[in-house]
This record gives sequence, structure tokens and C-alpha cells, in this order.
Amino acid sequence: MNALIKSATVVDSKSDFHNETVDILIEKGRIAKISKRISNPNNYREIKLDNLHVSQGWFDSSVSFGEPGFEERETIDNGLKTASKSGFTAVALNANSFPVIDSYADISFVKSKASNHATQLLPIGALTKESKGIDLAELYDMSNAGAVAFYDYQKPISNPNLAKIAMQYAGNFNGLICSFPQENKITGTGVVNEHVNSTKLGLKGNPNLAEDLQVARDLFLLEYTEGKLHIPTISTAKSVDLIRQAKAKKLDVSCSVAIHNLIYTDDVLSDFDTNFKVLPPLRTKNDCNALIEGLKDGTIDMVTADHNPIDIEDKKVEFDYAKYGTIGLESSFGALQTIFTTKKAIGLLTQGKSRFGVDENTINVGNDAELTLFNPDVNYQFSVSNILSKSKNSAFIGQDLKGMAYGIVANKKIVLL
Amino acid sequence: MSELSVNHLLGIKYLKKEDIELIFETADQFKEVINRPIKKVPSLRDITIANLFFENSTRTKLSFELAEKRLSADVINFSASQSSVKKGETLVDTVNNILSMKVDMVVMRHPNPGAGVFLSKHVNASIINAGDGAHEHPTQALLDSYSIREKLETVKGKNVVIVGDILHSRVALSNIYALQLQGANVMVCGPKTLIPKYIKELGVIVETNLRKALEWCDVANMLRVQNERMDISYFPSTREYTQQFGVNKDILNSLNKDIVIMHPGPINRGVEITSDVADSKQAIILDQVENGVAIRMAVIYLLASKIKQ
Repeated sequence: MNALIKSATVVDSKSDFHNETVDILIEKGRIAKISKRISNPNNYREIKLDNLHVSQGWFDSSVSFGEPGFEERETIDNGLKTASKSGFTAVALNANSFPVIDSYADISFVKSKASNHATQLLPIGALTKESKGIDLAELYDMSNAGAVAFYDYQKPISNPNLAKIAMQYAGNFNGLICSFPQENKITGTGVVNEHVNSTKLGLKGNPNLAEDLQVARDLFLLEYTEGKLHIPTISTAKSVDLIRQAKAKKLDVSCSVAIHNLIYTDDVLSDFDTNFKVLPPLRTKNDCNALIEGLKDGTIDMVTADHNPIDIEDKKVEFDYAKYGTIGLESSFGALQTIFTTKKAIGLLTQGKSRFGVDENTINVGNDAELTLFNPDVNYQFSVSNILSKSKNSAFIGQDLKGMAYGIVANKKIVLL
Repeated sequence: MSELSVNHLLGIKYLKKEDIELIFETADQFKEVINRPIKKVPSLRDITIANLFFENSTRTKLSFELAEKRLSADVINFSASQSSVKKGETLVDTVNNILSMKVDMVVMRHPNPGAGVFLSKHVNASIINAGDGAHEHPTQALLDSYSIREKLETVKGKNVVIVGDILHSRVALSNIYALQLQGANVMVCGPKTLIPKYIKELGVIVETNLRKALEWCDVANMLRVQNERMDISYFPSTREYTQQFGVNKDILNSLNKDIVIMHPGPINRGVEITSDVADSKQAIILDQVENGVAIRMAVIYLLASKIKQ
């Protein structure tokens, strides 16, 4: 694949051309030349777009595509196309399919489905067989098949001894254990954040305490086991504090935050809109501020859309019956730029790769071309017409966003909106 | 104000003070009607109302049905045990099927909070919420305030305590909104396990000592403990609950004033109030039931007149 990207502003602090507007010549999938002006004698495909900016490829550590088993929600094929057009060159796929991805064969199946796409798919294997939380799945075997982490998606490891054993066992092969931050017995039947809004709406509350207890527990276990832990999608101020303290103690812990948990508080629930029914629940302004602070000081390692397509039959129902989840790949960048500068937003979208085994290709000559093309300055109201996913359950419909991806150049392919 | 500011009655929090005043003035007239020898008016002969009860109810359902019939509306009844909801039909489909039989108004009780709000966004009919989970029960709060107004002349400035299971109660939430809108002071009283942690942010006083609460109040609204909504025991035994939060004649007599005792029913005699309290002159429990019909007539009448426009 050869191409010439014309007049693109580089946003990559590790590039020699950071903040410069340049032409980028790509030959056989590699960056061959970067210069103010490059001629095109070989008549390569030229990419010339309005206010074009280019960064390293974006990464998301938590997406769900439904396949196998929930193809009515999303397929791996369309999910990856959505990711490409939304600017993501790599996504880590959760194991929440049916059957659950919990074996070598399952990991191989998912990888084979993804092989011809521009966006790289990194499969996450289930931590326990069928994600039932009882017996460990074959973690080492899955790791050999290409699993980058082990996670029973949004299911807490209820048994602390199992969590301990998982962290110890995965240490044999440097495996990454993910533990969903929720103590289910405290959550009970709670469906939204426990606060004044849950009282006003008569909806059962899921208190911060449920998350804080589980995070504290897992950090104790991590200290004991000397393992390697990722805590996906934290949502409370106290979680940020606890992880900050753990990092000061040099524990091998990372964590992510879902973008919707940064943008929205539980105030948006006043109309019982099920697109805002997410897990962990939307919390308070105090929590949002602490999460943003955690991203700024590096306590939180990465952001995620926690992209989770749910079909309308499971969303257009009474709030208690609706499934948790929002899609988010299409709106990630535009939403982040409502709270961060372009530089910070791009920084966040390119962080966390090494934790999930993704190579980092900076924008420098000789590196693989793994680029996201975007316009950081376009303002628009996000609507259903912006959604590429099969399911339309976006919490961002109607939200004013800033910035949009044009697409990616990656894996010797060009995918544009 | 001659008409309501809303097209549905989904909760008290969607109403204005003037709406409540209009409902009360209208209810005054209907209360006079239902005490006549002929207790019926022809106002809603052209209106069909569906009562959809997806959760058990006796008095609310009877009260609505009676209110509708006193207004000469055509009435159909539907409850979940007979419905296709159990066969997997969605709420919206169930209601749209009923509406296609030319129904103008839906009175719905539902176990899920927000079910009325959800329905109002997806179907074309006027919705009256007859209780949705632990969210709201607006007609109950209206009749409670109406009964206080009848007994004490005004709600404004009165001290009202709601005693009992606040956590699982839609009556409590609707009452808090209704009483505050009319200028009353509201306290909630019960075991800490049954009071929502952040309820103070609604501007209510929280008290865990029943005697102190009763000494403070002009009106005590006693709620039933909703065991059916509890996934775990929130107190060790009914006996122990009653020791702390049950109102008996002794405690009432020991106060230096006569407070008004209310209860939305059904009463668990000997638990939240003793029989001698329930049957005393201080209790206005049966007045509440009578007023319920007048209030529901007023609400239905006012919403129907918006449909007719």
C-alpha cells in the first residue's frame, strides 16, 4: 500500500515533526518520507482533507462486538469497520459473547475473523470458564493463542481467593488480570448511582462503596501476590485515590475510565433514558472531577469508550429491564475534546497500548504507518446519522461534540469515513 | 389557572403549585357530587379509560374505577396476570394494542420506576401514574394533602412527618414533593436502613427517634413496611420495628397536643399503628379514602378536558 498524505499537522509528541504541517509519503505500509512538500511522481493515492491532522493510531482497551452469539447487536466485521472509521487502529475485544471466549480455539476464531481489517483486534480471554466466576479458564493456552488480558466482562470476581489465585497464576507468564470494580453484595439490585437522583427517580442505588471496597480488596491482593492487575472502567473519586496510593507503592496496577463516566453525571437520568444506563453507573460531579484529575496526573492510564452495542429490543423497555451499555467509538474523540485540549485528548487515545501488547509506532520515517487522520476543530451535534455501529444505543445522541476522525492508515490499508 | 400545565400525571415533581390548587378546587366540587343521592355526572361520556395494573392493588384500583364511573367514562380493566406481558410482549406493544381499541386515557400501576414516563414517550394517550415502583404515586400524595387541607384548613406551614419504610416508598417521595410545593415542612422518620442515604438533599429533616418526630409534627403519615420489596431484612423483627416506630395510644396521649394520624393503607394493625390509634378521632384514614375518589375524579376530569381540546 502506497499513499501520499498531503498537508497534515502532526500531533505526536514523540515525532520529530510534532506540531508541523507536512506531507507524509507511505510506501509498502511504511513511512518513507516526511517533509514540508513531497511531490507524487508515482501517482500514489493522495489523501487531502480539510484541516487534516494526523496522530499515532488510537487504541481502545474495552470494546464488545457481540460475535459470536449476539450478531444482532454487532459483528466483528462491522465493529472493526466502525473502529477504523472512528480513528482506532487497535481495539481490545471483550469476551462477552455467547459462547464466552474462554479457550484457545475461541481466541483463534475471533482473531481469524479480524485478520483482514485495518484495525488490529486484540482478544481478551475470559478469566473463568464461561465467565461463571468459579474455575479459571486456560489462561496460558489462551495467551499462546494471542489473548492480551483475562477478564470476565463487567462481572466482579466475587471470590477473593479466586482473584488471588488468578493474579498468582498469571504471574507465571506475565499475564494481565482484569477485575471489574464492583462488590456485588453491596450493589444488590442497584441500577444507577446511589445519590439524591436515585432517590428522586425511585431507582435502586448502586453506591460508590461497592466499587471502593472491591478496588481496595484487589489492591491488597495485588500487593500480596505481586501480580499484574488492570482495573477496567473505574468511576469513583475514592478509586482514583486508592490506585494513586497503590502506584506510589510501585504495585503493577493500571486502570481505565469510560469516557461517558467523565462527561456525564447521574443528573442526565431524569428522563429515565436507557442509553444512560451503563455500568459502572454515571456518578456525581465530584467523581467526574476526580477522574479527570486522575487522568491528568497519570493515575488513570487510559480512557475507553467501553463500546457496548445493545439492540433496541433490550433498550426500548422499562429502565429496570434495559441492558447496561452504550456504544462510544464514534464519539470518543469528539467527547474527549469537550473537556481536554487536542493534545491531551490525542495523548489519552494513544495511551495504554503497551499494557495490552500493542506496538507503538510514532510518526517517524521508517516506522510502520499506523496513523489516525482527524479534524480536531469541527463542531457538531452528535446524532444517529453519525453512528456506524449496528446498534444505535449511544449516550451521546444530542450531545455537542468537537472533533471527528477521518479514518486510519494501518496494516497496509486506508479506511476513511 | 383553568387547566393543568401537564398532559399526563406522571409524578408530583412535574406539577406546579397552581396545578395542585386547581386539582383541589375541582375536587371540592366532585366531593360535593359524590355525597349527593345521585353520585354521578355525565362529564366524560365520550372518554374511554383503560386501567392497567401490572402490580397488585385493591384500593387504588377501586378508587380509580369508581372515579371514572362517577364521571360516566367508559372503563376497561386489565391486570398483568391476565395479560400477554407474561408471554413476552413489551409494555409499549401491550398498551398500543389497547389504545388501538380507541382508548383515550391510561391509568397505570407498574412495578418499575419510570414506567409511566417511558410510556408517555412512546404511546399516544394521556397517562396517569397510579404508582411506579419506588418512584411516585401522585394521586395518593394529592389526596393526602387534600385531606390535611380539609382537616387543618391549610397545608402551608404545617409540620408533617412521614414514618416508616421511606426507602421502598413511592408514597413518601410524592408526598415530599407535594407537601414542599405547598409550603409544608417535611420530616422523614424510620430506621436508618429504610431511609435513603441522600434524602436530606431533598430538603427534608431526617429523624430516627419516633417520639421526637411526633413532638415536632402536626401530622404523622404512617407508612407500611413493604416486605415484598425487600431483598434482605432491614431490621431484625417486626416486634423490634414496632417497639421503635409503632404509634400507640400511650405515646399519642403523652404528647401535649393532638396530632393528625394518616395512613395510605393497607394498615398492618399492631405494626405501624395500633388498632386504638387507627380507630381514634385523630386518625383520618377513612377520610383519605373518600377524598381519594374526589381527587381522582378531579385529575381525570382535568386531563380529559385537555384531550377534548
